[in-house]
Amino acid sequence: MNKTKKPNLIILIFSLLLGIFMAGQLKQNIPILAPVTLRSIQTSKNEINSVKEEIEDLKSLTFKRNEQLKILESIASGDENIINILNEELKNSKIAAGFEKVEGPGIIIKMEDNLSEGAFGQEYDLDLIHDIDVLRIINDLRGAGAEAIDINGQRVLAISEIKCGGPIIRVNGRSVGAPFYISAIGDPKLLNAAINAPNTYAYALRTIDQLNIETTVKDRIVIPGYNGRFNYLYSKPSKEGD
Amino acid sequence: MKRNNGQLAITIVSLFLGIILAIQFKTVNKTVGEGVLPTQRAQQLALELKKTQEERDTLIKALDEVEAKIKAYERGEVDNNIYAENLYKDLEKYRMLAGYVDLEGPGIILEIHDPPADVQFGIEYSIVDDLDLILQTISVLNAAEAEAISINDQRYTTFTEIEKAGDHIEVNGVSISSPIVIKAIGNSNTLESALALKRGIVHTLEYYDYTVNLVQDTNVKIPKYRKLKEFIYAKPVEEDN
Repeated sequence: MNKTKKPNLIILIFSLLLGIFMAGQLKQNIPILAPVTLRSIQTSKNEINSVKEEIEDLKSLTFKRNEQLKILESIASGDENIINILNEELKNSKIAAGFEKVEGPGIIIKMEDNLSEGAFGQEYDLDLIHDIDVLRIINDLRGAGAEAIDINGQRVLAISEIKCGGPIIRVNGRSVGAPFYISAIGDPKLLNAAINAPNTYAYALRTIDQLNIETTVKDRIVIPGYNGRFNYLYSKPSKEGD
Repeated sequence: MKRNNGQLAITIVSLFLGIILAIQFKTVNKTVGEGVLPTQRAQQLALELKKTQEERDTLIKALDEVEAKIKAYERGEVDNNIYAENLYKDLEKYRMLAGYVDLEGPGIILEIHDPPADVQFGIEYSIVDDLDLILQTISVLNAAEAEAISINDQRYTTFTEIEKAGDHIEVNGVSISSPIVIKAIGNSNTLESALALKRGIVHTLEYYDYTVNLVQDTNVKIPKYRKLKEFIYAKPVEEDN
């Protein structure tokens, strides 16, 4: 009697304990564990990396500004003339702003509507190049580090609109018709990858919508300076100490 | 016989326990997501992120100080020379276009919030998946002659790319997530009507259930571009014809 009852009792007690422990454990851990997943850790890692890159950029910019400051300080000692410095700065700023004709290695992309008779889909709409297609491709080129971009001779800047205007696209207030030639100066390999690698936007346009997109890598491309609107009627530089 | 009965009971109870445990773990995995990790690592990362962000902020401050000094020098030298003053005015204009000057002026502010969870019907989507709409918004603003544009306080420049990276987007290499705030300086009436026109951008965004808030503001502030873009490949063409 004694020998058979005791194990049962022990098992009962242990099962109860196990149950209580498990309940306690699960209750305790869920709220703490909940927000931490592999994904969120990856996200914060990426964020740290991008902030670090930002820091690098800031450091190089600060370095350059400090050099500029040194040159300015040398005015006091009479080594430099303010006019020369300003002229030099003006030249650099014009290049940075996109007002100078530039040349360099890069890529030329020819985009043409799907011209074949048995075109894709029921709607002709899908056979045509739209403003958004051009916008996406230019965005991809910028992501690949393009230094200068133009569409059919129109330099594309931050203030350039690329907008559907019926049968044509308007760029810098001028009409541009198909076929579109987009030229970009930059690292030819990267630029080429941005357009031709699988899963890029241009790749989808070519394979799914069957638009004619051809790319040519060139050692020397000339991109004209900007000649669109350039007037600041509304914007003022912010006051110091804001 | 009695002993056998007891063992059977324990077997059945153990089986139930196993099944319940399995179900419990599955449920936890489903609600929390796969790959639950200790919180320690996450806390570490959060700390590191905070530290790097602080470092960045001090760098931005230092940079602003140097730039203010440069400005003071240039202005000081320029004031007593008309030719230099004209040169400086010209220079400022090109710097504004290149994005290296903080700007302020009248304009519009467009806020795009993700659709509230209860209208998504289980399919979650966010504005970060709709790069097309952001690019089009900027193009429309430019068509309406915006003078400067920023996205979540990142100046939109000639070199600005908008790239999707996981569940957020990167603008100028800086992570940005919903809500997206696009600011533009220009003629505020023109800018607003260009966006708010029937079947325009705001209409499209609202059609996809985004919460859109478009307001005019008399003093929109747009920060400068804080990246150094060096031209490695592009060289100015020597004019010799």
